[in-house]
Amino acid sequence: MLCAGIDAGSRSIKAVLLDTDTGKILAAGVSDQGVEQERLATELFDKILFEAGLERAQISGVIATGYGRNAIRFADTTITEITCHARGVHQLAPETRTIIEIGGQDSKVISLENGGRVRDFAMNDRCAAGTGRFLEMVATRLNMNWSTLSELAHQSQKPALISNMCVVFAETEIIGLLAEGKPLADVVAGVQKAIATRVAALAGRSVASPVYFTGGVALQPGMARALEEVLACPVGVVSQPQFTGALGAAVLAGERAARNNL
Amino acid sequence: MECRSSGPQPSVSNASAGAALRWFEDMIDHCYDYAEAARAQGRPVVGIMCEFTPREIILAAGAVPVCLCGGSAATIPPAEQFLPANLCPLIKSTFGYQVTGKNPFLNWADLVVAETTCDGKKKMFELMGAAKPMYVLELPHKAENAAALEHWTQELHKFKAHLEERFNTQITEEKLRAAIQLMNRERGLRRQLADLMTQDQPPLTGRQLIEFKSIISGIEADLQQYENGLKSLSASGGDASSPNVTATKASLPREIRVLLTGVPIVHGAERVLELIENAGAVVVAMENCTGLKPILEDVDAADPAPIRAIAKKYYHLPCSVLTPNSGRFDTLRSLSAKFRPDCVIEIIWQACLTYDIESIQVRKLAEEELKLPYLKITTDYSPSDSARISARVEALFETIKAKAKG
Ligand code: SF4
Ligand code: SF4
Repeated sequence: MLCAGIDAGSRSIKAVLLDTDTGKILAAGVSDQGVEQERLATELFDKILFEAGLERAQISGVIATGYGRNAIRFADTTITEITCHARGVHQLAPETRTIIEIGGQDSKVISLENGGRVRDFAMNDRCAAGTGRFLEMVATRLNMNWSTLSELAHQSQKPALISNMCVVFAETEIIGLLAEGKPLADVVAGVQKAIATRVAALAGRSVASPVYFTGGVALQPGMARALEEVLACPVGVVSQPQFTGALGAAVLAGERAARNNL
Repeated sequence: MECRSSGPQPSVSNASAGAALRWFEDMIDHCYDYAEAARAQGRPVVGIMCEFTPREIILAAGAVPVCLCGGSAATIPPAEQFLPANLCPLIKSTFGYQVTGKNPFLNWADLVVAETTCDGKKKMFELMGAAKPMYVLELPHKAENAAALEHWTQELHKFKAHLEERFNTQITEEKLRAAIQLMNRERGLRRQLADLMTQDQPPLTGRQLIEFKSIISGIEADLQQYENGLKSLSASGGDASSPNVTATKASLPREIRVLLTGVPIVHGAERVLELIENAGAVVVAMENCTGLKPILEDVDAADPAPIRAIAKKYYHLPCSVLTPNSGRFDTLRSLSAKFRPDCVIEIIWQACLTYDIESIQVRKLAEEELKLPYLKITTDYSPSDSARISARVEALFETIKAKAKG
């Protein structure tokens, strides 16, 4: 069966086409989020269909997830990003017990039971401090792109202490640190550590191994290391971390279609 | 939201239950008319802001007790000219009405009664007291201390004397007993309404149930409507769907029963309750001060010492400002047994320290003892995080349903 998952996140839209019988991802794509969410999602969907040489009629089920899931009307139904990420990561790394997902505007810690079912989850409230937004602010501030940012962080021996947990105030703090002459690498590593600390606080007492890291921010190599240090356990990064939500949605779309066909 | 197709539309199967609900939708207007008429007859208006305030004594003084708690986001910015931004929205909103002068009941209040509860309120009362006659009852915080109840009783005696002097009246035992009866009747009716939610198919949504309240206690017309609503709902087992409470999508399948706890959900601040029920659940019990907490217990009408009996009832209120607040955990245990929820959701207003810190114990109770999933939502009155809250609530429900499917 061929199924699709659309993850309409806060910063970007991701789409995955999955052959649920083989578990093979036939196509995947990402586009920037914008005001005309449904049009953007439709274009992206059509684009990956074209890439895979498929047509809409061949797709047995579509599930939308993510912040903008309710705007994707061509989907059969919606499922939250928490359930979808859990399903997506389970698909890629079935041994996972804890998922850390850091996206553009939120971060989550999901603990899984045997079989990949969600046991419990925590998600940041209003504050953006433990999210990709924080890194984005720093990158903009320093006039750098994300990948240079994490390369820089890698050079740091002594991450700076960023004590302010509010993104707005942290920005001031970062400017202050740079003005004091703190090496850029230490400041960037400090930011990564601050995010990791925030996410670890979200996780609370129970972080069962193996831990897998996903979401757009997982593309930054330094972040996994920062999480490992704070959590004091190995943290694996799933392959194609920005797609786990859409992948999970596609897997769930397959399960749903199978149920409906019974 | 697993299912997007709309289910059966809500039927207004019972006209008089709907009528009762509609009555309370205009609750503020009725209270306005009532207070205006009472003032014309020379009755004083007494503002209250907490469930520890003994309404019976105020009623016995011939005064009209009005709840002044603010549930509006609009009054928060004006309040922040004077109060720190990092303060509970309930306190800011309440005080904001003093700044804007837009709460007629506060403007009318001949006296405002407050208690030493949380620090934020206590210090806000000082500011409010600069512009309004204010009487502060000293609430002892160590719930299990026998001397504390004694002190609280003394506080109520002093309060009674203060009202007598201020309003030039005599609070006789007879008046006190009448007020106790009235309040017991009101609590009893609201309790019975809340008890309807024990049914497998509750006849109301939580959003509808929370409409059955009034910011002025003891209005006979309200009590009549409680009775009407109760009669029709218990007789028919029907629902009270009303055109105006549309915030809750009654058409969604309601598979999940929620026990709600935490801070008070003041009139106007029901957003989270709506988000929860829009995700396909029904809030079957609210432990909060705006729900069951203050109406679970009555004043012992047979007690030969009425003030003492009143003191006892109010002192048992399991608010997080008390330490230890074991009464709250007992309440949650019994509500859980009675209302059979599938999960516990706790609402915390941002910067409410006492409830926030206590939430760790609530989570533990829910997960380890009641074996129920627990979700804490920390928010304020602005809707900017609604999508985020919905995602968490929906994810919780997805998890519960997945577990049920096995
Ligand atoms: S929660 Fe506590 S302080 Fe607030 S109204 Fe209730 S009793 Fe009063
Ligand atoms: S919600 Fe908390 S901080 Fe706000 S008034 Fe009540 S006890 Fe105080």
